[in-house]
Amino acid sequence: MLETIQLTKAFKGKTVVDEVDLYLDQGESVGLLGPNGAGKSTTISMISSLLKPTSGDVTLNRKSTIKNPGELRKVLGVVPQEIALYEELSAYENLKFFGRIYRVPKGELETQIQETLDIVGLKERQKDLIKTFSGGMKRRVNIATALLHNPKILILDEPTVGIDPQSRNYILEMVRQLNEKGTTVLYTSHYMEEVEQLCNRVYIMDHGKVIAKGTKSELLSILSNEDTISIQPNRVDEAFLAAVKEIDGVRKVEISGDEINIIAKKSSNIVSDLVKIGDQYQVQIMNFQMENPSLENVFLHLTGRTLRD
Amino acid sequence: MWTFLKKDLLLFWRDRKEVATVLLLPLVLVVILSLVMPGMFGDDNEEEYDLDLGLVIEDDQEQGLDRFAEHLQEASEFQDGEIEELLIGVNAMPPVEGLVEYLNNPDLAELVTVESMMKEEAQEEVEQGNLDAALIIPEDYTFHLLADMYLNEPKEQSLSFQADGQTMEIEILSNVIQSYLDHMNLQYAIAGAGGSVEVSSDDLPQGQIEDVEGQQSFSMEQYFTIAMGALFVLFMAATVATRTGVEKREHTFNRIALTNSPPLHYLFGKTMGTFILSWLQIMFIFVGSHLLLDVFSDQGVTFWIGLILMATVYTLAIAALASIMTSIMLRLKKQETGDGIFMLILMVFGVIGGNFVPIYLLPGWLQQIGEMTPNGLVLATLIEWIQYEDLSILFMPMTILVLMVIVSLIIGIKLYPKRGDIS
Repeated sequence: MLETIQLTKAFKGKTVVDEVDLYLDQGESVGLLGPNGAGKSTTISMISSLLKPTSGDVTLNRKSTIKNPGELRKVLGVVPQEIALYEELSAYENLKFFGRIYRVPKGELETQIQETLDIVGLKERQKDLIKTFSGGMKRRVNIATALLHNPKILILDEPTVGIDPQSRNYILEMVRQLNEKGTTVLYTSHYMEEVEQLCNRVYIMDHGKVIAKGTKSELLSILSNEDTISIQPNRVDEAFLAAVKEIDGVRKVEISGDEINIIAKKSSNIVSDLVKIGDQYQVQIMNFQMENPSLENVFLHLTGRTLRD
Repeated sequence: MWTFLKKDLLLFWRDRKEVATVLLLPLVLVVILSLVMPGMFGDDNEEEYDLDLGLVIEDDQEQGLDRFAEHLQEASEFQDGEIEELLIGVNAMPPVEGLVEYLNNPDLAELVTVESMMKEEAQEEVEQGNLDAALIIPEDYTFHLLADMYLNEPKEQSLSFQADGQTMEIEILSNVIQSYLDHMNLQYAIAGAGGSVEVSSDDLPQGQIEDVEGQQSFSMEQYFTIAMGALFVLFMAATVATRTGVEKREHTFNRIALTNSPPLHYLFGKTMGTFILSWLQIMFIFVGSHLLLDVFSDQGVTFWIGLILMATVYTLAIAALASIMTSIMLRLKKQETGDGIFMLILMVFGVIGGNFVPIYLLPGWLQQIGEMTPNGLVLATLIEWIQYEDLSILFMPMTILVLMVIVSLIIGIKLYPKRGDIS
């Protein structure tokens, strides 16, 4: 349905998106996972025709959309990372304005506005100015605006940034339902758990490149020969950390808060080695946990960094 | 385009602080300036001019009169009685003496300081800007003037009025002198037809601006009403550009760019919005000032029609200017850069256009440059319109403003960024 072919964008000689190939089949929910600055938003800007790629192509049903984006715009709804709304207008006025410029037929616009407000749960507050809304409510109107023209494909760029857990769950459930009703979804986030919850397939981006792709199980299989161990020492000692890295079979060591995450070769004798080193450096291990691998671990394995770095 | 226009007008209306600034601030300023400025630049609300005129007399009046008398005797068309009567009239008020007397009469002295000097000195002083103008009465002027008037002989000598450039002061001086000459020609013509040359100073033009050829004065209130109207409308262009910057910064512009609406609809919406808002603004200032200060109390319907016409064309020019600023703002990475540049340009326009200080206080060359700005042009034109109320005054400035509209719109469209090129 929608595909990017070797999509590349360079600003002043610096490549921020590097030959990205991705595709979305009809009705799919695809995640684009990566830390801040990975190039996700630039990729989305190019897919949605907002930014011209330096090279490469974006196709809709095998037709290039770079020169003639009209057809793509008709079927594409984009929820930007920012709250792209007029604060001095009410939710209803915002939707009416954007509905008109999305060319929703006049006879259908009112119904469409009310239905969309119903989806995002803000029908009762439609006459209130956006500036009086909470962050979560603004995010919901931000999504509603992208749904007005009944898009077949919905691209959401970090739609849950900076909101409370309740609004976040509401949005995730809303996206899940839209996908169930047939809307194709491209969901970008640096929250691994959101992508895990919503998406059938995942692309992982870092430094402008797709570094891994596949279904969740395909990605997790990258770690099939590895164990993920999380320890909580009473103190983080540089010498202790260096010694842990030297343990035979340890592949990655990452500090996350007061925990140390270790990826090590399966069946390696890491537990006893950790205890020995702890004694040697007088570091007491308060907590020890073997974890099921997650996409976060996959990202750590691939890049040596966590998603929130 | 109407959707964009409606949105822009609604957003403007919702920003009550902006509405108050745009509508009330200029009115408050008109009131304050009208109260404060007359004490600084004039009295009794009338313009106070201090015009310096160099007077060069190369003519020998006595010799000219004697020569004319001899010439009359030689001419066959007059009888002895008629010649005597004519010479009495001419000798009672010889033309050069009359002009000098007129220029030095106490009423005109409030307006013009006349200083007699040599030709070279006068020309040098004009060039250096120490004199507003020089009036040169050439050799044999008296004889040739009289011979021309009474004997229809070819005019070989004329008064020479020399000025460096064309400013409001120079125009006033020129009008004052021309007015006297017209008056004198008429009196001599009457005398030639058998009447007598009247020499009473009461019959001479009074030398104040309001009495010259039906010209009216303009008051400080009127000046500041027009100046503030023109200035604040100019700021409207920057306000609209700033709002574009906000739309870009808050990504609503990107959201618009994601739709299939024609790109230029956004620009035309801004242009039309600026026109409507600035037209309402300037009319509010004009009508508000009139209601508050009785600014245009002596003016009739024709004046108001001319005022509205000029305001309409001016606001169109400002709207077109806003289209350029909008396009530039969309090309700039930082809104603050655009805001700074536009404000600087508009402040310069305001200063040289005479919107901050009365235009006649500025040097002549600056006045001329000022009239190249839309605000300066509209200010100078409407001041003239108050004084003369002659439709021909409006024609050229309106043509210039319409040209500005066309050129600005073309530039605005050309600068408008293409989709995918927005910073």
